[in-house]
Amino acid sequence: MKLKLTLALAAAVAAGSALAADGAKLYLEKTCIACHGKEGKKPLMADYPKVAGQNAAYMEKQMLDIKSGARANGNSAAMKGVMAIVSDAEIKAIAEYLSKVKP
Amino acid sequence: MKRSLVLTVGLLAAASVLAGPPAPKKEGIEGKDYKWNAQEGEKIEALKLKGDKKRGEEAYEICGACHLPSGAGRPDGTFPQLAGQHTTVLIKQMADIRAGLRDNPTMYPFAATLTDPQELADVSAYIEGLCIPVEHGKYDGKDAAIKVAQGKELYEKQCKECHKPNGEGDKEKFYPVIAGQHYKYLLRQMTEIRDGHRRNANPDMVKVIKPYTDDQLVAISAYQSSLKMPGSMCKPKAGKK
Repeated sequence: MKLKLTLALAAAVAAGSALAADGAKLYLEKTCIACHGKEGKKPLMADYPKVAGQNAAYMEKQMLDIKSGARANGNSAAMKGVMAIVSDAEIKAIAEYLSKVKP
Repeated sequence: MKRSLVLTVGLLAAASVLAGPPAPKKEGIEGKDYKWNAQEGEKIEALKLKGDKKRGEEAYEICGACHLPSGAGRPDGTFPQLAGQHTTVLIKQMADIRAGLRDNPTMYPFAATLTDPQELADVSAYIEGLCIPVEHGKYDGKDAAIKVAQGKELYEKQCKECHKPNGEGDKEKFYPVIAGQHYKYLLRQMTEIRDGHRRNANPDMVKVIKPYTDDQLVAISAYQSSLKMPGSMCKPKAGKK
């Protein structure tokens, strides 16, 4: 029983770090880096946000809203063009990763 | 009445200037005074300059985040294949995006941060020198063979004269290389040109493409994405496991 629990915990931790690693990879692959800069710290334009260390839940919601068009203000149009290639699960992974980057 | 309209338009214009990016908007194909490829602005300057590939390679680093270091773009058509494109085409398209004649909110900030005509010439020279990747997005429906055959027939009838037998385009005339381009990108651009959404389009092309159905555009794109330009394609990777 105890062993099972330990194993389950270990698996969960492993899954968590795999998610973060994926997030870092996705951050490059899905071209986030082009506008938000290395590790989300150096945006291309002064009116683009730094995203390193931002709350994961907040980022996930903004990404989902920009993708669906529910959020269309500000610079959303620039980002919407690329959101078609990011799945909802990938959005979550990217948000998780960025939230853990020290700003 | 007319005056208040003028005032409103004036205020709107002022507001859009204050807002900075997104892009400015210049009258394009929707306007009656539109002249395709008008020889004006930084485009002519960049075209006259000799591009330096070495400096261009450095400037390209930022482009590579989306268009990939190889210039291959993405098979899903989000970002076009750029490698091997004519400098004239690259300069015109970037200048058009900068000037607000081709609407592309994702690309605009990058085009806007290019510093000057020299950098435009440098980065274009670098991109033109890249080999065209062999692997790219193609039409993958079950009826691919039929679609490609249909597309070939249409292409040879109406597209080949300008875009050439192997999709080489025409550097002097600003006609793009389409060999090696992703199927989905080709289809998206042709649809936008047909429907008047790509505002820097060549009216001669719009006339030709106007009567085509969606299905015909699919066929033409399927054929175009199968084209290869002898001598310009990358060598297939040897010993790939």
